[in-house]
Amino acid sequence: MKIIAIVSAKGGVGKTTVTATLSTALRYRGHRVFTADLDPQNALRFHFGISPQEIKGISRASLAGQPWAETCCQSPSGVVVLPYGSVNESDRESFENLLDEQPTWLRSQLDTLGLDDEDIVLLDTPPGPSVYMRQALTTASVVVIVTLPDAASYATLPMMEGLVQTYCTRRPNFSSYSYVINQVDNSRQLAKDVVQVMNANFGDRIIGLIHQDPSVSEALAYDKSVLDYDVRCQATQDFVNCAERLSGLIQYAGHPL
Amino acid sequence: MLSLKIWDSRVVRWMAMLVATALFGLVVTVPLDLYQQLGFAATGFIVALVLSKTGSRLGTLAMMVLSVAASLRYMYWRVTETLGFETALDTFFGTGLLLAELYALIVLLLGYFQTAWPLERKPVPMPSDMTQWPTVDVFIPTYNEPLEVVKQTVFTALALDWPVDKVKVFVLDDGRRDEFREFCEDVGVGYVTRDNNRHAKAGNINAALQVTDGEFVAIFDCDHVPTRSFLQVTMGWFMRDARLAMLQTPHYFFSPDPFEKNLETFRAIPNEGELFYGLIQDGNDLWNATFFCGSCAVIRRGPLLEVGGIAVETVTEDAHTALKLNRLNYNTAYLAIPQAAGLATESLSGHIGQRIRWARGMAQICRVDNPLLGRGLKLGQRLCYLNAMLHFFYGLPRLIFLTAPLSFLLFGAHIFQASAMMITAFALPHILHASITNSRIQGRFRHSFWNEVYETVLAWYILRPVVVAFINPKLGKFNVTAKGGVIDESYFDWTIARPYIILLLLNMVGFGAGAVILLNGGSLEPITVIINLFWTFYNMVIASASIAVASENKQIRLAPRVAAQLPSTVRFANGRTIACETQDFSQTGLGLTLPANMEVPMGEKVQVSIFRNREEGVFPAVVVFNRNNRLGVHFENLNVKQQVELAQLTFARADTWANAWGNGVRDTPLTALKTVVRIGFKGFGLFFKHLYSMATAPRHTRRASAPKLDTGDK
Repeated sequence: MKIIAIVSAKGGVGKTTVTATLSTALRYRGHRVFTADLDPQNALRFHFGISPQEIKGISRASLAGQPWAETCCQSPSGVVVLPYGSVNESDRESFENLLDEQPTWLRSQLDTLGLDDEDIVLLDTPPGPSVYMRQALTTASVVVIVTLPDAASYATLPMMEGLVQTYCTRRPNFSSYSYVINQVDNSRQLAKDVVQVMNANFGDRIIGLIHQDPSVSEALAYDKSVLDYDVRCQATQDFVNCAERLSGLIQYAGHPL
Repeated sequence: MLSLKIWDSRVVRWMAMLVATALFGLVVTVPLDLYQQLGFAATGFIVALVLSKTGSRLGTLAMMVLSVAASLRYMYWRVTETLGFETALDTFFGTGLLLAELYALIVLLLGYFQTAWPLERKPVPMPSDMTQWPTVDVFIPTYNEPLEVVKQTVFTALALDWPVDKVKVFVLDDGRRDEFREFCEDVGVGYVTRDNNRHAKAGNINAALQVTDGEFVAIFDCDHVPTRSFLQVTMGWFMRDARLAMLQTPHYFFSPDPFEKNLETFRAIPNEGELFYGLIQDGNDLWNATFFCGSCAVIRRGPLLEVGGIAVETVTEDAHTALKLNRLNYNTAYLAIPQAAGLATESLSGHIGQRIRWARGMAQICRVDNPLLGRGLKLGQRLCYLNAMLHFFYGLPRLIFLTAPLSFLLFGAHIFQASAMMITAFALPHILHASITNSRIQGRFRHSFWNEVYETVLAWYILRPVVVAFINPKLGKFNVTAKGGVIDESYFDWTIARPYIILLLLNMVGFGAGAVILLNGGSLEPITVIINLFWTFYNMVIASASIAVASENKQIRLAPRVAAQLPSTVRFANGRTIACETQDFSQTGLGLTLPANMEVPMGEKVQVSIFRNREEGVFPAVVVFNRNNRLGVHFENLNVKQQVELAQLTFARADTWANAWGNGVRDTPLTALKTVVRIGFKGFGLFFKHLYSMATAPRHTRRASAPKLDTGDK
């Protein structure tokens, strides 16, 4: 089982979109892909065409003591999705307390799914430090940091790296962390400069450069992945390339604890 | 056997050399009768054919030895057995042919010497400590070329990967034009000019040497675009070898030369330059005799000043400068990696003018600074320079070969006092061995028979300048080679083609006469007539192919287009994007291949991205063409920064065009012969077509005059 945490220190960088699209792209590359939403916004499900009325998810299941397997949905592309689930405020607090008390909760839940070595799990997380992100970071073999090519996002990167240092790099089963720069528009000088600085600083750690593309948001409106919505657009090309890099990256990652 | 210890001894090596020479002398001179000679020839040829299947360099050397043996044996027989001339006419034509053959033999032998062991030098990496890197001045001399052409070179020179404080770009404007000065100020490069034009380009560079101070000088003709890696690839050898004064890289062209354009052989058959830059320069390098070719080279300033700057005594200032450096015991080097590319001359007359200059310059050097004489050169260097000079004397020998059989067919002259069978037994091995051996050595860079076409086209034109320059090196002026022009209409260059037409007509008459003799069964030996008919037919093919070269195809694009598949993106006005590939690029626009049929209105404004690894340049453009999944866009109002970026992402990247170099289809003599014959027939047809249309067109509508050939020797 290869576990990939998709994280960012700052909100609004398109993390959920990246998680969903990369899941689909990895699925199209022939992997078995599971995607778990650890974000109380519970928004990942929209990218996979799951009905807004559906309330089940991992939070509810955990509180009710149900096995995770019962909360799984399958997207049209074949990605297995585990939504966060709809919960009220007090239940959310109880759930977060549970996560706080049991640092290995996520890992033990994933182990109940009976996945094999080659299966890929992507974890979507809420922005900034949280119990969810800590669970994700302590469990993942690969971390993908999503960022925008702007000054604000760039400024938050040291904090994100600090978290990765704290929770990941010392673990023997941790493989590597990398960056995806989202919504790049190289016709703007600032974006271009930031991308250049990031290229200089992180080099090969940057596994994806996703161009700003109206097709991405249009695709969500049509309940589709951009990979299906506009096959020939630049963003699709970028996600496909990124998935290819990621696929290569995880090849040797995630040996069992 | 070669690794035996015994070879370490000097005495043993000399002894072996003596024995080998004696045996070789025996092989060359031993008299054989017809059948013995035929057997000898057949054996040698079979061995050569077997060797030609092996891949080793030793095999190539062995083939050279066989070829030299066959040729020397032929020449020995030729001189001792075939010269019993009876009449004055025989003596005149016969001696002429013999001299032409001797010339060809010497050039053949020197050529083997020169190309036996190409050095194939590899680049040396620069030291990792950048503070040790030397300072470089980049010179871009220009005289009358349009600013658009020069701009591109400046932009790519600005993109050279080298510490910013250690490289300066200078435009050397001998035209003293204000728009050049303004442009240089705008982009922040040096502008150098002078108040006279003495000694043309050489004088221009020398004047700039006075006002600059970089440790090295990199020189690019204003239409040669360097790749960004140029300095990093070339400078390493200077760091390693303190005596290295000059390093040359190939001249590569992304537009077809007139031969390639008019014969439609671009990228399919190696062009005239490829042999020189692919093989000959690499062979020269082994002997430390690399020629400086005026552009795409780096020179160390110290030695250059020591020889008094770029040579001004001859019109091939570049080669002469290298010779002077070699004389002072400086090294010269060649790196066979295209690191700059430029425009070929587009019309045949321009091309001929350029070659005339080279030929004249070499003849001048031969007189004023003869490489065989004078101090400071090693034997290998002398021979390499000698071959380069002798090469340009091919005019007369080539014309003799093209007309030799006529003296027999038309005048009945017996220029060859031997039976047809004996000629076959001796001459055929000489020709065949030379042919397969050269094909083996040159196959990647020159196809068989093509040098005959190249030389025939030029023979008449270089004959006089070479002779004039040889007699009086001071005669003749410098003529620049104009480039970047437009040929708006296809036409046939009657002026240029005249010599080949005369050659063709003469050979046709000869062929007719020969056919009549053969049918009437006169007193002449039929086999001799047939041999001469074959020779005449071959000459007709070569002359016709030369005529085909003179039929100018139109060239409508001012800016050269380079075919290259680069990843790119088009962003349309509504924000929609499409990931695609370029088909070609130019300074002014792109051709793109779209994934499928798309409705894109003409005139739509788009943004086009071009990628190079992690880099992306975004350029505003307008759609000017859309058909069959092909989109043509024209850039709109690029600012200077964007133009530099565009140059970096297109012309300055070597991965787009240099891959083709030296990787073409290898030569096979029979295929090459077929191609040449086909082009010959095409030229033959073209000649009569043009003749017909000229005869039927009313006089006043005829093209007034083709571009006049400026040979510069008036």
